[in-house]
Amino acid sequence: MQHNAVRARIVASLLCLLALTAACTTSTTSSNPKATLNVLAGSELKDLAPVLADFEKSTGDAVAMHYVGSLQGAEQIVNGDSSDVAWFSSGRYLSLLQGTRQRILAQQQIMLSPVVLGVKHSTAMRLGWVDNPNLTWRDIADRSRARDFRFAMTNPAASNSGFVALVGVAQAFSATPDALQAGDINTAALKDFFAGQALTAGSSGFLADSYTRQQDRLDGIINYESVLLSMNASGSLHEPLDLVYPKEGIITADYPVMLLRPNRRAVYDRLVAYLRKPDVQRRIMTSTGRRPAIPDVKPDSRFPNRVLIELAFPSSLDVVNRLLASYLNQIRPPSHTVFVLDTSGSMSGSRLDSLKRALLNLAGADTTISGRFAGFHNRESITMVLFSSSVYNRRSFQLSDTGDNSGELQDIRSFVNGLQAGGGTAIYDALEAAYQIAGSARARQPDDYYSIVLMTDGENNQGRSAGTFLSDYRGWPAAWRTIPTFPVLFGEGNPKELHQIADTTGGTVFDGLHADLSAVFKDIRGYQ
Amino acid sequence: MGRILGLALAALLAVGVLAAIGYSLYPRISGSSPQGLQTVRGVIGSEKQPFFQDPEVVAAFHKHGLDVQVDTAGSREIATTVDLSRYDFAFPAGVPAADKIKRDHKAKATYAPFYTPMAVGSFQPIAKLLESAGVARDAGGWYTIDMKAYLNLVAKNTRWSDLPNNTTYPAAKSVLITSTDVRTSNSAAMYLSMASYVANGNNVVPDDATANRVIPQVAPLFLRQGFAASSSEEPFRDYLSIGVGKTPMVMIYEAQYLAAATARDKTLTPDMTLMYPSPTVLSKHTVVPLDGGGDQVGRLLSEDQQLQQLAVKYGFRTSNAGAFTNYLKSRGVPQPPQLVDVIDPPAFEPLETMIQGIQQLYKGS
Repeated sequence: MQHNAVRARIVASLLCLLALTAACTTSTTSSNPKATLNVLAGSELKDLAPVLADFEKSTGDAVAMHYVGSLQGAEQIVNGDSSDVAWFSSGRYLSLLQGTRQRILAQQQIMLSPVVLGVKHSTAMRLGWVDNPNLTWRDIADRSRARDFRFAMTNPAASNSGFVALVGVAQAFSATPDALQAGDINTAALKDFFAGQALTAGSSGFLADSYTRQQDRLDGIINYESVLLSMNASGSLHEPLDLVYPKEGIITADYPVMLLRPNRRAVYDRLVAYLRKPDVQRRIMTSTGRRPAIPDVKPDSRFPNRVLIELAFPSSLDVVNRLLASYLNQIRPPSHTVFVLDTSGSMSGSRLDSLKRALLNLAGADTTISGRFAGFHNRESITMVLFSSSVYNRRSFQLSDTGDNSGELQDIRSFVNGLQAGGGTAIYDALEAAYQIAGSARARQPDDYYSIVLMTDGENNQGRSAGTFLSDYRGWPAAWRTIPTFPVLFGEGNPKELHQIADTTGGTVFDGLHADLSAVFKDIRGYQ
Repeated sequence: MGRILGLALAALLAVGVLAAIGYSLYPRISGSSPQGLQTVRGVIGSEKQPFFQDPEVVAAFHKHGLDVQVDTAGSREIATTVDLSRYDFAFPAGVPAADKIKRDHKAKATYAPFYTPMAVGSFQPIAKLLESAGVARDAGGWYTIDMKAYLNLVAKNTRWSDLPNNTTYPAAKSVLITSTDVRTSNSAAMYLSMASYVANGNNVVPDDATANRVIPQVAPLFLRQGFAASSSEEPFRDYLSIGVGKTPMVMIYEAQYLAAATARDKTLTPDMTLMYPSPTVLSKHTVVPLDGGGDQVGRLLSEDQQLQQLAVKYGFRTSNAGAFTNYLKSRGVPQPPQLVDVIDPPAFEPLETMIQGIQQLYKGS
C-alpha cells in the first residue's frame, strides 16, 4: 500500500517535471495546494456552494467560506479580521464602519436581489394589493397598525434583509426624499409599520422556514425577492406569496465580493471574473432566483419587468446605528425571553464561568456595537429559570432602562454572578415551567415575541421524560406552540433530544461545543 | 515489470531534475520583472487600471524595455496621503492633483497623454423629461444638460414626480445626479468643479474665500445623495446593472461609456444615452514623473503611436482627434457633440477647501 502510494507520487512528480513549466504550476496544486482564499460571508450565500465548487475545479483555487452575521462580520473586519475577502449581501454597513481605514481594496457586485414584501394571495386580494402599482409602505403600515396584516421580518441587527428593509421603510417614511438624517427618523410611522411584525429571526433562511411553519397565522414576509421566489417554488406553502414592490421604492442587495488583502488580488480577480461570466450568471439566476449583475444576461420571466425605484441609503454610520437602536428599544414589538439554565453539578468550574460571561455580556458587559445590539433592550422581559434536580428558582426582570448605568441591568448581573452549580438534571420539568411562564404571559400580551433558550450540559436524569414533555406539548394551546425553543448544545448535552426539542417547537439548535458560549448567546439574540 | 518501471522512472527522474533546475533558474514572470526589463512603478487612478492590465499595453511597454507595475488610489489620496517615495510616477485623473504633486515633488515636466470630458450617463425617457423641463437639449444622438438649469431644479428640491407631464418616471425621488464620494474620488471632484463654476456666476473658483462662499450651494449635491461609492467604477456599474430605478443620472467619465459602447458587448441597452454637461470639465489624465523611469512612461504614453491608439480603445481622447473619431466611426458609435463650453477645474487649494468644507458637513449630518 505505502509502496504503491510512494510510486504514484514519484510518477506524478516526474510527469510534472517532464511537462515542464506550465503544467508544473498546476500539478503542484495537488501535492502542495495553493493557499486557500478565506472568505468571510453572509449565511445567505450558502446556496452558491455548487458554483464555488466549480470555480475551484476550473481554476485550481480553493475557497473557504466562513459564515457570520452581516453587522458582526463588518465589525470583525474593521477590527482586523484576517480574511482575504468579504462577501455579504450588501457592503454598505462595512463601508460606513470602515471610515478612513480603507479595508475594502476593491469590490464587484455579483448578483442582485431587492428586499421586498411577499403577501399571502388571499390577504393581497382582501386588501386590494394585487398588481397595485400605487401601493405604498404607508398603506402597509396602516394595515399593520390595525393588525389586518401580520408579517415576518429578520432582526435588522443580525440579518441584512431585515436591516435593508428597516432602512428602506425609514427612508420611505421620512419627510424628504433625500438620504435619511437622524432628525428624519419617523418613529411613530415606524411603530405603526412594525406593530404587525409577528415573527423574527436571525437569518433570512430561518425566517423563511419559520414562516412556512407558521404560515396559517401570518399574512406575509419581508425577504429577498430570491427567497420569496424559492418559497413559492417549494410546494410547501398553502397559498402562494404575491410579490409586492411598494411605490416609494425598495433597496436592492448587490452581493459585492470585497477584497481585503492586497496580496490576494490575483485570486480575487479570478473569482470575480468567473462569477461574472455570462453562463455562470445565468446559472446563478436559475438556481438561486437572484437577478444577474451583468446587463448582457437578461432576467428571466420570474422577475417582473418593471422599473424598481431604489431608495437612498444614509451616508452616516451614526444615523444607521441610531435607527437600529430605535428599532430595538422603541419600535419593534417587545420581546419576552425565558432562559432555562442548567446549574447541575457538571456545570461547575469553567462551564458555569462561560455561561455567566455570556449572560453578563448580554446584560451590558459587551460594549462593542454588535454587543450593544445583541444585549437586552428596553421594554424586554427576561426570565431566568434555574434548574438542577428540579426547578429551584424563577426570576423575572422587566427592563425599562438599558442605558450605561442601568440599575435593572445591574440586578441581572448580580443575579448571574450568584449562580452556583450542584445536583442532577431535570431538563423537561424546567422546559415545562418555561412554557407555563411564557404561555401565560402570551395570554396577557398576545402581540409580543416569546422565545425560550435552553442551556444544558447533560442528559435528562430527573423529573419528566422527553416523551411526557412531547405529549404535554401537543395538548397545549396553539398560542403556546408558536413559542420556539433554542437549545444550546454544550458539554455532554444529548444532540438527538435537543434537536427534537428544536424541531418540535420551531426553534433551532445552537452549537456551544465548537464556539464560544458568548458568541452563541449573541447569535441567539438575533432570533428573539 | 516492476524493475523496468523502476529503471524508466530513474531515467525520467534524471531528466526531470535537470528540467527542474532549468526551470528554477529562469526568473518567474509574475511578481518580478521579466529578464532585461526595467521595472517602473506607478500609482494611478483606478479608472486606468484596465488600460494598464491590457496585455497589448503591457507588451508595448516591454518593447521599450519597461515593465510597468501600478497600484491604484483615489486622485485626491495620491496628491495628499500616498507615500510617493515608492513610485517612479504618479498618474492622477485630474490636473488639480497633478499640479499639487508636481509642485510638492518639484517634477520638471508633466505629460497629459489622454483626457476625457465629464458626462452624465442617463436614459432616453429621462433625457426627454429634462428636455421638456428646459434642462436638457437633444444634440443629435446625444444630449447636453444645462448645469445652471439643473442646479436650479436641485435648489428647489424638485422630485421627478414634480416635473410637468411626467408619466414615464413618476418617482418620488429627488432629481439628483448620482456621483461618487467627493471626499475620495476625482470624478466627484470634477462634478464639484462644474457646479462651483456655475454657483460662482460662471467663474472658476479662484481662492479659498470664494470656495467657502459657494460651499452651501454645492454641498447638497453630495449630502442629499446619501451613501456614495468611493470609486468611479461602482456607480457606473449600478447604472448598467440596476438601471434607471437606482441611477437615472450618473456622473461618469465619457471614456467609461464609450469603452462600453465601442466594445459592442450588449453592456449598454438601447435606451441608454449620454448627456454632456454645459459647462463641462475635462479630466486630463496627467503623468507626474518622479524620476527618469517615470519620465519615460509619460513620454511613451504621449508619443508612442500604439499606446495612444490603445488609449482610444478605452474611450479616451488623445491629441490626435482623428484617431478618436475614426475609432467611434469604425465601431458604429455616433460622434459626440462638439464641446463648446469647456472650463478649467479650480486649482488644488480652493478645490480642497470646498471638499474639506463638504467633509465637515458630512460629519455634522
